[in-house]
Amino acid sequence: MSSLVFKKKKFKLKPKKLIDVVFTYIGLIIVSAIFILPVLWIVISSFNPTGIHTPEGFLPTTWTINNFRILFTETSHFNYPRWLLNTLIVSSLSCVIGTLLVILTAYTMSRFKFRSRKKLMAMTLLLGIFPSFLAMSAIFFIMMEFGLGSIWGLILIYSAGAPLGYLVQKGFFDTIPNSIDEAARIDGATSLGVFIKIILPLSAPILVFTAITSFAWPWSDFILPRVILQESRDMWTVAVGLNAMSSDHPDRFIAGSVLIAVPIIILYFALSKFLISGLSSGATKG
Amino acid sequence: MNYLKTKTLAFGNFFTTANYKVILSMFIMGFGQLIYKQVVKGLIFFAIQAGLIVFFVFRGAADIAGFFTLGTAAGNPAQGIHGDNSILMLTMGLFAIILLMMYLFAYVTNIKDVYLTQLRVEKGSPPLKFKEEAKEYIDKKFYKTILFLPILFVSVFSIIPIVFMILLAFTNFTGDTFPALADWTGFASFRELFGQGGLAPIFFRVLLWNIIWAIITTAINYFGGLGLALLYNKKCVKGKVIWRLFPMLAFAVPGFITLIAFRFLFSDAGPILWPINQERLLDPYSYPISFLGIDATWSARIIGILVAAWLSIPSSMLLATGILSNMNKELYEAAKIDGATGFRQFTKITLPFVIFATTPVIIMQFIGNFNNFGIFFFLRHGTFSMIGDVPYSDTDLLVNWIFRLTVDARRYDLGAAVSLLMFIATSAIALFIYLRSPAYRKEDTFR
Repeated sequence: MSSLVFKKKKFKLKPKKLIDVVFTYIGLIIVSAIFILPVLWIVISSFNPTGIHTPEGFLPTTWTINNFRILFTETSHFNYPRWLLNTLIVSSLSCVIGTLLVILTAYTMSRFKFRSRKKLMAMTLLLGIFPSFLAMSAIFFIMMEFGLGSIWGLILIYSAGAPLGYLVQKGFFDTIPNSIDEAARIDGATSLGVFIKIILPLSAPILVFTAITSFAWPWSDFILPRVILQESRDMWTVAVGLNAMSSDHPDRFIAGSVLIAVPIIILYFALSKFLISGLSSGATKG
Repeated sequence: MNYLKTKTLAFGNFFTTANYKVILSMFIMGFGQLIYKQVVKGLIFFAIQAGLIVFFVFRGAADIAGFFTLGTAAGNPAQGIHGDNSILMLTMGLFAIILLMMYLFAYVTNIKDVYLTQLRVEKGSPPLKFKEEAKEYIDKKFYKTILFLPILFVSVFSIIPIVFMILLAFTNFTGDTFPALADWTGFASFRELFGQGGLAPIFFRVLLWNIIWAIITTAINYFGGLGLALLYNKKCVKGKVIWRLFPMLAFAVPGFITLIAFRFLFSDAGPILWPINQERLLDPYSYPISFLGIDATWSARIIGILVAAWLSIPSSMLLATGILSNMNKELYEAAKIDGATGFRQFTKITLPFVIFATTPVIIMQFIGNFNNFGIFFFLRHGTFSMIGDVPYSDTDLLVNWIFRLTVDARRYDLGAAVSLLMFIATSAIALFIYLRSPAYRKEDTFR
C-alpha cells in the first residue's frame, strides 16, 4: 500500500519537484555569492598595490605581497606588530577571566533559588538594554581617575562586562537535571564540590562557546579601545590602529585586516558546532 | 506577604529582646561578636568600621561635599592655577556615596549576625565557629561567594557609569580640557533641547529614522536568517555543511573590517561608482552620482540597511538552525497526513514555534539594531552638516548623534540628556514588546 502511494506520488510530482530543486540551487548559489564576493574582494585587495582603494575595478592589475611586508618593517608610525601583541594580550586575558566569571554566574543563577534572584535577573535585563556605548565616556573618566587608560583597563572592562551576558550559559545549565546535583549532595559534596566535579565536566560545549565569543569580542571590538586608549599609540589594539590607517593607507589597512581575520575565521570554522548549539541554547531558554 | 509579617514580627521582638552584646555591636561593629568569642568575624567587622572612619576623615567627607558643590575654585590656565575639576569631584563623590551605602549594608549585616548568634545561644547551642561559617560559603551560601565579584564588577563598570551619565544630564558640563566649573543646573539641558529654537526638530528627525531603521533591520535580519536556515534545511540540498560555510564566513570576519571595506566599495572613488562617474563627467547633461555623499539621504540609508543585513543574517541563520533542529518533527508528520501544504505548514507550525521560542532574542535584536552604532559610524561618520553648533547627518541613529554631540561637539550635558531620554524610550519599547509577546502571555503553549 505504502509503496504504491510512494510510486504514484514520485511519478506525478517529478516535474514540479525538479523545478523546486532547480530554484533551490539557484537560491543557494546567489546567497553564497552575496556572502563570498565581498570577502573575496577583501582578500584579493590585500595583494593589490593600492589596497582596498580600487577605483579601476575589482581585480588588481599587478599583484604584490609588499602590503604585508611593510606592516612588519615600517613600524615607526604604524606599529602593527605591537598592536597585534596588545590585542593578543587583551583578548586572551579577557577570555580567561570573562569565561570564568560568566560560567560561575550562570551556574549560580541556574541552581540557587535565593531571595533576590528574580530582582537580580530583572536588573541585568535592564542593564542589558542600556547601550553600553553611552556609558563609555563615563567609563573613560573613571578609568582616567584611576590611571587605567591602558590595555589593563580594557581587560578589566571586558572581564567585568562579561557576567551580564550570562543568560545563554544559564539556559545551558537549566537543561542539566537537578537530580545529578542532589545525588552528589547526598554523598556529602559541597556546592563547590558539585560544581567542580560534576557540572564542569558536563559543560564542555558551553565552555567552548563562551571562550570563543569572549575571545572574539575584544579581538574585533573597535569603539571601546578607541575611547579608552585615546592617542597613546603604543597601547592601541589592532582594530584602532587599522581604522587609523584605513583612509590614508588602504594598502596596509587591508593587509593588516586579512591577517587578523584569518585566526578568527579558523577558530569559528573549527568550532562551528559549539557556536550553533550555544546560540540556540540561549535563545530557547533565555 | 507572610514573609513580610514574620519579618516585622522579628523586628518588633528585636527591640525588646536584644541583649547588651547586640547593643554594643550597634555602636562598635564586631564588639558583640568578640564577646561571643567569634574573634575573626568580630575583627573583620571592626576593621570595616575603622576603615570607613579613616576614609571619611581623610577624603570621603570632602568628596561627598564636592559632589554637591561640583567645585568652587575656578582654574586659570594663563596663571597656572589648576582649580577644581568638577567631573573628578562628581566621580569621586559618587564613589564615596556608594562606599557609604556598602558600609550601611555591612552595618546591618553585623547587627543581624550578632542577634542571630544571641538567639542561637539562648536556645542552648554554642556560637558558630569561624571555620563552620566559612564552610557555609562554599556550600549553602556558595552563591554569595560567587556573585560577589560579578556584582562588584557590574556595579563599578555598568551601574556607576549609567548613574554618572544620568547625573551629567542635570549639569552643564561641556568637557573642555581646562574646564570652566560645572554646576548642577536641574532641567536646563532638557529645556535647551526642547525649548524655543532648541534641538527638538533634529532630535525627533533622528528618533523617527532610528525607529524606522530598527523595525526594518530587525525584520529583514530575522526573516532573512529564518529563510536561509529553512533553505539549508531543505531535503533536496546536498552538502549542507559546505553551503552553510559561506554565511559563516561573513559572520567570522570582524565587523569593522567589512564595514570599512563596504565604505570603500560604495564610496565615490570605489570600484562601482568611479567608472560610472568617469563616463558621466564626459556628458554635459548629467552629474556624478554619489551613494554616501552629503545629499544622499536614502541611498545611504538603504546601503546601511543592506550592509546591516549582510552582517547580521548569518548569526540569525545559525540561531534559527539551532532552533529548527530542536523542533518536534511529529507535528509535520501529522500535518502532512491532514493534507497541509508546505506553505500552510510554515505559517501554522514553523512560524509560531520559532517566534515563540525567540521572542526574547527578537527583543534583544531590536534593541541591538536600535543602538547599532557601528554601521553609520564607519560608513558615514565623516559626512555631516552643522545645524547651529551641532553636527548632524541624516543617517545618524541616536547613538551616532550622541557621539557627535559629546565627542565631537563636546556638549556632554546635552548628550547625557539625550542618552537618558533614549534609555527611557528603549526600556519602554522593550517592555511593551515583551508584555505583548506570546512568550509572556501564553507561557506554556509549547512546553
